[in-house]
Amino acid sequence: MFDGLKDKLGSFREDVEETAEEKAEAEAETDAPTEADESSEGTGGPSSPADSVEAGADEPVAGDADLATEGGGDPEEGGGLAADEAAAALEEDDDEESGPGRLKRAAAFATGKIIIEEEDLEDPLWNLEMALLESDVEMNVAEEILDTIRGKMIGETRAQVETTGELVEVALRDALYDVISVGQFDFDERVQDADKPVTIVFTGVNGVGKTTSIAKLSRYFEERGLDVVMANGDTYRAGANEQIREHADALATKLISHEQGGDPAAVLYDAVEYAEANDVDVVLGDTAGRLHTSDDLMAQLEKIDRVVDPDMTLFVDEAVAGQDAVKRAEQFNDAAEINGTVLTKADADSSGGAAISIAYVTGRPILFLGVGQGYDDIERFDPERLVDRLVGEE
Amino acid sequence: MVLDNLGSSLRSSLDKLQGKSRLDEDDVEEIIKEIQRSLLSADVEVTLVMDLSASIEERATGEEPPAGTSARDHVLRIVYEELVDLVGESTDLPLESQTILLAGLQGSGKTTSAAKMAWWFSKKGLRPAVIQTDTFRPGAYDQAEQMCERAEVSFYGDPDEDDPVRIARDGLEATEDADVHIVDTAGRHALEDDLIAEIEEIESTVDPDRSLLVLDAAIGQGAEEQAREFDDAIGIGGVVVTKLDGTAKGGGALTAVNETGSSIAFLGTGETVQDIERFEPNGFISRLLGMGDLKQLSERVERAMAETGDEEDDWEPEDIMEGSFTLKDMQKQMEAMNKMGPLDQVMDMIPGLGGGMMDELPDDAMDVTQDRMRAFDVIMDSMTDDELENPRSIGASRVRRIARGAGEDEETVQELLQQHKMMEQTIQQFQGMGEGDMQRMMKKIQNGGGGGMGGLGGGGGGLGPFG
Repeated sequence: MFDGLKDKLGSFREDVEETAEEKAEAEAETDAPTEADESSEGTGGPSSPADSVEAGADEPVAGDADLATEGGGDPEEGGGLAADEAAAALEEDDDEESGPGRLKRAAAFATGKIIIEEEDLEDPLWNLEMALLESDVEMNVAEEILDTIRGKMIGETRAQVETTGELVEVALRDALYDVISVGQFDFDERVQDADKPVTIVFTGVNGVGKTTSIAKLSRYFEERGLDVVMANGDTYRAGANEQIREHADALATKLISHEQGGDPAAVLYDAVEYAEANDVDVVLGDTAGRLHTSDDLMAQLEKIDRVVDPDMTLFVDEAVAGQDAVKRAEQFNDAAEINGTVLTKADADSSGGAAISIAYVTGRPILFLGVGQGYDDIERFDPERLVDRLVGEE
Repeated sequence: MVLDNLGSSLRSSLDKLQGKSRLDEDDVEEIIKEIQRSLLSADVEVTLVMDLSASIEERATGEEPPAGTSARDHVLRIVYEELVDLVGESTDLPLESQTILLAGLQGSGKTTSAAKMAWWFSKKGLRPAVIQTDTFRPGAYDQAEQMCERAEVSFYGDPDEDDPVRIARDGLEATEDADVHIVDTAGRHALEDDLIAEIEEIESTVDPDRSLLVLDAAIGQGAEEQAREFDDAIGIGGVVVTKLDGTAKGGGALTAVNETGSSIAFLGTGETVQDIERFEPNGFISRLLGMGDLKQLSERVERAMAETGDEEDDWEPEDIMEGSFTLKDMQKQMEAMNKMGPLDQVMDMIPGLGGGMMDELPDDAMDVTQDRMRAFDVIMDSMTDDELENPRSIGASRVRRIARGAGEDEETVQELLQQHKMMEQTIQQFQGMGEGDMQRMMKKIQNGGGGGMGGLGGGGGGLGPFG
């Protein structure tokens, strides 16, 4: 997981570096032509349109070459980009006349610095946006990240001692860390310190792996010296009782379940009563998978939340989920406020964008990753290590 | 539905072209951007999006619109053709003896789809059997068994055997007299080498006529890799897209279709065994572009009418056109409407009503309408038979009684009576109309769109004429 994103972030850094280097060189060279431009402007007004056309014609060529070198792997992007390129080139022309950067740029040039401007970032940022989308980062979240980077980089002067790479790395790290690390708390400590029993309810759509995650967490808590009772609140799906029963048997964990078709809130309530009577530390409450579009089932979830009043609600979703992950996370959060997310099937997915999106929209942390089919295949999610891995040089 | 969003955002940018006869570069650029955005937010794979938008752009700028065609229609046609081209035909499923192998990630919905497909084949007059080879996931055997019971189809599994290949072989023998064998497998992902090896072995034992990849509609960009690996391992002949009743757009399915060179076979749209549809590319794309899908609609109407009629033999929809239109008829119609599925889905299939119109309604409009229909239903349950037959006999004191009985306020009861009166008038206009008038009416609805809305917004009765 996340390896795909790492590669793409690396190429963003190279993109910007390249653009910046080219710019630094171009700056030195084009200094003279700019002078010439000015003088021609001074002599004959009408001739200036011709000048700017000429400049416009030059630019795209440079841009194209640029593309060819950096985007060798995916030439098909060229089609969609050519138009942007031209537009960007045109804008650049306009800015040249009015931009406040002119003096600043001259000053920077004199002191051997260059300034990162919006148009310098346009292509790399477009590539980065595509990279984020390719990694399943939700579109709005991706745009948010881009804005952060834009905000941090544009107008930055980089001293020559500082490489563009470093500048990009800092901006990327900040933008990603902001999003990924949202709301992290010490899960183990919170469970250890809470009044017992601690009731944790798991919610999510069908087939994301709620029951399997409960089985894994049951092992996780037992290993940390906490007793667990599982409660099967999925009284709907065919085979749900049998599935969790087998896990309970394999793990030698107590299971509270009712007949299929029973009231899920009642099952969870019974489990809490059982835990209180028998000094069990943790109640893990399963719920039936439901699509967030089903009003009745979402209302039922609200009821469970109200009746059981759990200490924590964990939203379970799969790492392979795409753009929709955000929508369902939001709606589950609305029905029964979540405290964190368990991201399953992380071993099936190389991008990991869902993690970024879900944490961002819910404002709640990713707590665990499910990474396989064994009971031990669950990991604590560590945002700092992840960001290091994503943007760090290896 | 698949790519819902593409429909609405594309339509709004296409609407900007209204009245133009030529396209300038800015128009094309904006539309291409919009198409890219929509496809990407529908989880279509990035490279595929770029390919698709590039060829739309090329054609939109390169091809002269045929004489008399507006720029808008020109672009619409290109987008339509390119999308139909990408989606392809529905997977060919001959109604004959065959073996189908299902594969897919954990939790994508293979077991549910197996039972649904078996149900679908049984409705086509074939005898299907489901063979459950998932020996790994706890409860898989019980789930499959219970689902097959609900679908009323044969089932084979062996909870004590832990070799899926053996179960597959034994299962084929045990269910020899079935026409269609659907072999369900344990969930696995493309990166689990040992499990991929296992499914290859099952495939060579079962020797299926086609292997279908079951994909969750919510799957993201990972669809490409998963589809490729499964295709390499067992050869994918079609895709089943599940959980389309959520908000996911199912763009991953397009990616998978593109990657495996196959097509979409089935769509899963709910939790019961009947919630399965064959994929119909033309209707699907028309609906997507707001051009309506009358074929699907009439099928749904027919099915719903038949189901409603089944329960009570003394009610014939045709009677409405001849005799008087009573509250009982209205209640039946509402029941039939409910059976056709969620209102917004149905609306989307009506030419002129779907797409563009839908976008302009507030998000909760359909919920409100559905709530109202429910309230009306409760109110009618509180009426006597006589009142249902002769709504005109209901005076102020009866309104009070009914309102109290139904737990609704009197205004709602009044609204219901008002609604009935309006519908009665509409129906009366239809009576005595010839075939030609009917067609003209349909045409009017198609072009105008807005006409039917009043009735629908009020109580869902406006659809009456379709019955």
